[in-house]
Amino acid sequence: MATAMPSNEIRPDDFKNQFGEEEVEKFKKMTGVISSRKASYHQTTGDLGYAAAEKLISEKNINKEDIGALVVATHSPDYPRPATAFIVQKRLGLSKECACFDISLGCSAVVYGIQVVASMMMNSNISKALLISGDTGSKTVNSRDKSKVMLGGDVGVCILIEKTENIKDEIHSLVRSDGDGYRYLIVPGGGCRNMNPPHEEVMCEDGIERSLYDSFMRGTSVFTFTVFDVPRLIKDFLAQTNTTMDDYDCFALHQANLYILQQIAKKAKIPTEKMPITLPKYGNTSGASPVVSLCDRYGDDKENRDINVMLCGFGIGLSWGVTSFRINTADIYPVIFDDTVFEEGIINDPNELFKDMRGL
Amino acid sequence: MEKLLEILKGIRPDVDFANETALIDDGILDSFDVVSIISELDDAYGVQVRINELDPENFNSAEAIWKLVQELKQK
Repeated sequence: MATAMPSNEIRPDDFKNQFGEEEVEKFKKMTGVISSRKASYHQTTGDLGYAAAEKLISEKNINKEDIGALVVATHSPDYPRPATAFIVQKRLGLSKECACFDISLGCSAVVYGIQVVASMMMNSNISKALLISGDTGSKTVNSRDKSKVMLGGDVGVCILIEKTENIKDEIHSLVRSDGDGYRYLIVPGGGCRNMNPPHEEVMCEDGIERSLYDSFMRGTSVFTFTVFDVPRLIKDFLAQTNTTMDDYDCFALHQANLYILQQIAKKAKIPTEKMPITLPKYGNTSGASPVVSLCDRYGDDKENRDINVMLCGFGIGLSWGVTSFRINTADIYPVIFDDTVFEEGIINDPNELFKDMRGL
Repeated sequence: MEKLLEILKGIRPDVDFANETALIDDGILDSFDVVSIISELDDAYGVQVRINELDPENFNSAEAIWKLVQELKQK
């Protein structure tokens, strides 16, 4: 697995003039965020996922013809359509035999992505597949929303999944959803339900001005869901897989915020030394955050050892899930920083799409 | 109730929980405070405040929070 981030660093401390020192210090204490990375105006999830995929393919010396599926799990697609997976397929130069599609998920994206790709491989002759996940959430956050603007970090990650005959390589998953919570984390405007509402910002009851195009979070509801439902999910997963906490070397949880992680760890009895926290360095990097944490912890590990990982994602949907797998630390690469933008993909005039066609 | 007041004081030492009756309505507590209270209530009383119980009325005063705890304990 590999992780790519933009080099542009932002820090909550930079917002002290805007939100006040007391607010920023309280935010840092609660969330644990000290720094995060923000994509440039034209940089996308596809760009970051591509950078991570290229790193992985070159390091592992993978024949691109062997990749039978490319799935991108994101809430920040490069375009409303087509799916981002096609753009990455073109850039990577993957075969036309490769199945490409997106999964529209946020905080649980990697868990669901692994489950979907692994299930697909089980029922096909695909022996190697790429799962890309990531988000550029900073693009849909109102710059005056103190609850979100200092929290998120943009990222793209890539996981190579290979089919083996080894029973120890089995991937287990348990996923859950609750559509009753669709309003708790939402961007209400710009989709087909309300495509072109006014961009006017209105003062919300939480004292933050937002437009319908901005990301909205009902924090207390989300917190309540995560601290009670996620520990229950982990407990049920352990029972389902007949495993205990001792069977896992690492618990890679979605980096929602520090307080939530501490509460989940306490309630699920997760040994904190086995639970990497990357919020201080990278902020909340959405559904890809468990992979970011693995790359941060094991990216420079020289021991080439197999580790059992429990990976857990939870949030927007509401959606939550847990998956487990074995991976060698030599296959986990350190975080890279990349600002490359797919220039060809920036289309500013519809006529560019007819270029060299002479009207055909 | 004494124990609850101690818990609340531990979260926000600057608030007069014994007398305030509009903790949410007057913006004395923010969402960070409420999530801390919810977590502490689970630890102290073994009660889980669910999303449908996130009514501001339930958090406007120590008395209201205490009433919520009693209701949840009976469930």
